[in-house]
Amino acid sequence: MLLLTPILLVPLSVALLCLLVPSRRVMAALGVLAFATTLGLGIALLHEVLARGVVREWSEFLSADALSAWMVLLISVVSLATSLYAGRYFERDMAAGVITMGRVREFFVLTPLFGTGMFLVVLANNLGVMWAAVEGTALSSVLLVALYNRRNSLEAAWKYVILGSLGLALALLGTVFVYAAACKSHPDSLPSFNWSYLMSVARQLDPLQLKLAFVFVFVGYGTKAGFAPMHTWLPDAHSEAPSPTSAMLSGVSLKIALYALLRFHILTTACLDGGPDAGFSGHLLLGFGLFSMLLAPSFILVQRNLKRMLAYSSLEHMGLICTGIALNSPLTIFGALLHMGYHALTKPVLFFAAGNIHQTFHSLEFRVIGPGVGKVLPVTVVLMGLAALSAVGLPPFGLFFSELTIISGGLAAHQITVSVVILVALLASFCGILQQLTRILLGARKPGDHPTDARRSDGVPAMTLLLGSLLLFSVWLPAPLLELMHQAAAIIGGKP
Amino acid sequence: MHPPTTLEISSQVIPLMATLMLVVQLLLIAQRMLLTNIRLFAIQSLLLSGIAAVVAFNYNASHVYVVAVLTFIGKVVFLPWLLNRLVHRIQIHQDVEPLLNAPSSMLICAALTLLGYSVTRPFTSLEKLGNNTLAIALALLLTGFFLMINRRKALTQVLALLTVENGVMLAAVALTTYGMPLVVELGIFFDVMVAVMVLGILVYRIRENFDSMDTGKLDQLKG
Repeated sequence: MLLLTPILLVPLSVALLCLLVPSRRVMAALGVLAFATTLGLGIALLHEVLARGVVREWSEFLSADALSAWMVLLISVVSLATSLYAGRYFERDMAAGVITMGRVREFFVLTPLFGTGMFLVVLANNLGVMWAAVEGTALSSVLLVALYNRRNSLEAAWKYVILGSLGLALALLGTVFVYAAACKSHPDSLPSFNWSYLMSVARQLDPLQLKLAFVFVFVGYGTKAGFAPMHTWLPDAHSEAPSPTSAMLSGVSLKIALYALLRFHILTTACLDGGPDAGFSGHLLLGFGLFSMLLAPSFILVQRNLKRMLAYSSLEHMGLICTGIALNSPLTIFGALLHMGYHALTKPVLFFAAGNIHQTFHSLEFRVIGPGVGKVLPVTVVLMGLAALSAVGLPPFGLFFSELTIISGGLAAHQITVSVVILVALLASFCGILQQLTRILLGARKPGDHPTDARRSDGVPAMTLLLGSLLLFSVWLPAPLLELMHQAAAIIGGKP
Repeated sequence: MHPPTTLEISSQVIPLMATLMLVVQLLLIAQRMLLTNIRLFAIQSLLLSGIAAVVAFNYNASHVYVVAVLTFIGKVVFLPWLLNRLVHRIQIHQDVEPLLNAPSSMLICAALTLLGYSVTRPFTSLEKLGNNTLAIALALLLTGFFLMINRRKALTQVLALLTVENGVMLAAVALTTYGMPLVVELGIFFDVMVAVMVLGILVYRIRENFDSMDTGKLDQLKG
C-alpha cells in the first residue's frame, strides 16, 4: 500500500479544493480533516519504518527513514492543531472586520500548501527536490505572513522573503557543489542525486568540496532555521503573521529547515569521518547553536511585544536543539529530537493564546495589554501559563526532561564548558520569560480600564489537545515512538 | 566538424559568454533606468540560456536542451514581460535611486570580482568547461548581493535576486558535466517563476500601502 504519496496528495488536494468551496466553515473542516488524515498516515508510516527500515516509493523518488517519519508526525500534529484553532480565529477576525473573505480563503488554501511543502522536504530523496520544496514552503508562508496587509506585516513579509530567498540561493549553490562532488567521483555518467546514493559513496567524495558546500548550505538553511545572526527576519515574521501561521512557523517550519541542514550534516560527517576535519560540520552547528542560545535571553528581556518575545524563545529552543545535535553523543541527539517534539507541542499553545489576547486587546504591546490579562481572559491565561511553564523547562513538562537529557549527555561526553553555557542560557531565558509574563498576565487591571465583555474561551480545544498530549507524552512515551526516536538519533549520529 | 574541435570552440565560447554575463551585470549596476535594467537582465539570461545550449550541443545531452529552452521562455521572455507590466501598472519613477553613485559602485564591484577570482582559485581543477566560469559565477553572486544592498526600490531588489540566481545557475553549468538532473532543474525553474510572482504581489501591496517602493521606509520592526 502506498503511504508516502497520500501524505503529500491529501493536503495538496485539500488546498485545491479550498479554492472552490464557498463556505469558510467547510474550508476549516477540510483543513482539520487533511491533517488528521496525515497524522493517521504518519502513525502507519511509523510502524512501517520500524518494520522495514526505509520506506521507498516511485522508484526511490520518495523515501522515508526514522528521521523523516518523526518529522512527518511533528508536521501533522502542529498543522492539525493550527487548523483546529484557525476556524474560530478567522470567524472572530471577520466579525471584527479586520480581514476579508478573500484573505481568509487565501489562508485556507496556502496553509495546506505550506504543509505539503514541508512533507515533501522530509520525504524527498533527491537533495535538489528537497531544496525546491524548502523554497516552496518559504513562498507559501510569505503570503501568509502578509495576510493582514498592514504596513508592518508587509515589512515583515518583505524582509522574510528577501532574506529567505538570498539564503536559499546560497543553499542552492551548496547543493550544486555537493552534486559536482558526486559528478567528479563518477565522471562518466550522470550520477543520481539521491540522498541514499550519496550516502553510499560518501567516502569517495572530495572532502574539500563537501566542506565548502556545507558552509554554503549552512548559511542558507541556517537563515531559514533562524540561527543567530541570520535570525533578523524571525521575530518580525512571527509577530506580524496571523497567530495560526506563527504557530506553524515556530512549531515546525524552523525545524524543517534544520532537518534539511541535518541531511547535509550527516553526509559531510560521513565523508570526513576519520579524517583531520572529522567534526567540521558539528563544530559549525555547535558555534551557531550556542550563539543563538546566548543571544536570545537578552532580547527576551527587552521585548515590549508578546509575539516577538515568543519568537526569541523559539530562537533559544532552536539553538538548544542544534547544540544537542552538535554534541554528537547518542544521549544528546536523542535529547534534541525529544526537545523538537515537546517544543512542537508547547509553542503553538503560546501563539494561540497570544492570538486570543491580540483579538481582545487589539494589540500585542505589553503596555497596552497588561497587567491583569487574567482578569479578562481567565481560561486563555491559565492555558498560556501552563504552556509558559513548559517552555521555560519546568517539570512535570517534557521540555524539562529533554533539556536535562541534553545537559547530562553533554556532561557525560566531558563537554563541561558547553553544558555550563547551555545551563546559563536556559536560566537566563527562564527568568526573562517568567518575569515578562507575570507582569502582564497577573495582577489587577489598570484603574479606569473598562472591563470588556470578552470573557471568552476561544481556541480551547486546540490548546487542550496540545497541552494534554504534552503532559501525556511527558510521562509516558509509547514503545514504538521511543524506538523510532532511537533509530532517528542513530541516523544523525552516523550509525546506519 | 570533428568532436575535439567542437569541444575546443565551446571551451572558449562558454567563458566568453560567461564574461559577457558579468559585463551585463556591471552595466546593470551603472544603469539608473528601471526598464533598461529589466532589459539588461533579459540579455544576461539570454547568455545563460546560450551557455546551456552550447553545453547541450557538446555532450548531446537532451535534458540540458530542455534547461536552455526553459531559461529562454522563463527568464528571457516571461519574467521581463511580467516585470515590465508591473512597472507600468504601479507607475513608478524610472530612476532606481542607488545609494552609492556609479563610479564608487564600479570600484566596489571590481573588488568583488577580484575576490571571486581569488576565492575560486583552489577550485579551478573542478571545472569541466572553461577555466574561469566558476570565478565569474561567484562574481555574479557577490555583485548581485551588492546590487541588493545598493538599491532601495523593492523592484530593483527583485532584479538583484534574479541576477544572484543567474550566478548560481552558471555555477551549476561550470561545475557539473551535464548540469543537474532534469527534475531538479524543473523544480528550480518553477520556484523562480513563483518567487517572482509572489514578490510582484508584495511589491504591488507595498506600493499601495506606503505610496512608495522605497524599502528604506520599511523600518518599523526593530529589536
